[in-house]
Amino acid sequence: MDVKDTVMLEIFRYHPETDSEPRFQSYEVPYNEDWVVLDAINWIKDHVDGSLTHRWSCRMGVCGSCGMMVNGEPKLTCAAFLKDYYPFGIKVEPLVNFAVERDLVVDMDGFMDKLQEVKPYIIRDDVNDTSEGEYRQSPAQLAQYKQYSMCINCMLCYAACPVAGHEDEFLGPAALALGHRYNKDSRDQGQAERLDVMLAGEAIWGCTFVGECTVVCPKHVDPAGAIQQAKAMAAQEYFKGFVMPKGTGVSKGADG
Amino acid sequence: MSGGGKGRGTGGRAATGGRAGGRSDEALWWALFSAGGVMAALFVPAFVIVTGFLLPAGDEAVAAERTAQFAAAVGWWPVKLALLGVLALSLVHCGHRIRHTMMDLGLRRYSGLLKVPCYGGALAGTIWAAMLLWGI
Repeated sequence: MDVKDTVMLEIFRYHPETDSEPRFQSYEVPYNEDWVVLDAINWIKDHVDGSLTHRWSCRMGVCGSCGMMVNGEPKLTCAAFLKDYYPFGIKVEPLVNFAVERDLVVDMDGFMDKLQEVKPYIIRDDVNDTSEGEYRQSPAQLAQYKQYSMCINCMLCYAACPVAGHEDEFLGPAALALGHRYNKDSRDQGQAERLDVMLAGEAIWGCTFVGECTVVCPKHVDPAGAIQQAKAMAAQEYFKGFVMPKGTGVSKGADG
Repeated sequence: MSGGGKGRGTGGRAATGGRAGGRSDEALWWALFSAGGVMAALFVPAFVIVTGFLLPAGDEAVAAERTAQFAAAVGWWPVKLALLGVLALSLVHCGHRIRHTMMDLGLRRYSGLLKVPCYGGALAGTIWAAMLLWGI
């Protein structure tokens, strides 16, 4: 390969202790056909500017740490190849819809709170003794939620969602998909209390089915589909409420 | 964008706490919206093609006879009822979409108040449609 081949990266920089406002800085990076944007950013940090701050870990689309805006699109930078942009420049920014802590690092606290709000764990009314063995599940029951369990919390869907950007009450794609994942789990009995959270105010209803969350999802979780299913589930529960008094519903696994 | 401080959207939420207000009645409106979406997507285009293009197509006398037969079928009350259902749900669909568009355009805090013109408009349209159908 021609050693002179380079690619220009324009990177969002912001150090709150010295910068009054964000700026962009350009870096010339050697072009390698098998490099991803994350490799280029790491090369800059190692060879040009050690103060450049970014999150990354696994380099293989599993950890969900390296999500950034690449030419305006939310991407895992470990999966965005330089060759797909070459010979044009690449603009790298922190994920939108989040506050910036430093350079390419965003504040995840609001997102983490939202994840916790949907109670993303199995809730049981009757907890079996371990001597009774596992809660068994058929492959068909697993298939009900497996797709929604593939989320790696990379937050690309929050950067892609126009509602997540302006409605704080909205739980957002990943959290709603995760809540739906547990609602669909045959071992779980917490649907009612989870729906109390998901159906309050704009928590789920803020979603107007734009569908960009599903477009950008690197793990094919389809949060938009999960949200639509959860809304349909909510509508069923709403109408059931007129037929049956609260607490006697026959929804999956809930109530005794 | 601002560093460290409270941002909009995902960065700015307060810590985990209870969500006030309990379950909203949005499930009802969403269910009607959803049903109306099916109506508006499947039946309304078919109606436009049938009444706007197919019935008046071709020879004038044949078209007039065809249209008269169609009008007679619409006069039958189960057809009227079905038509009213399609129209009513399509109107609610439209009202709901307008309401949410207004909310996205910055009127979110008036989401309750917006129900009056949006769903009220759909109701008014439904009553008008019922009166027109009644007269056939």
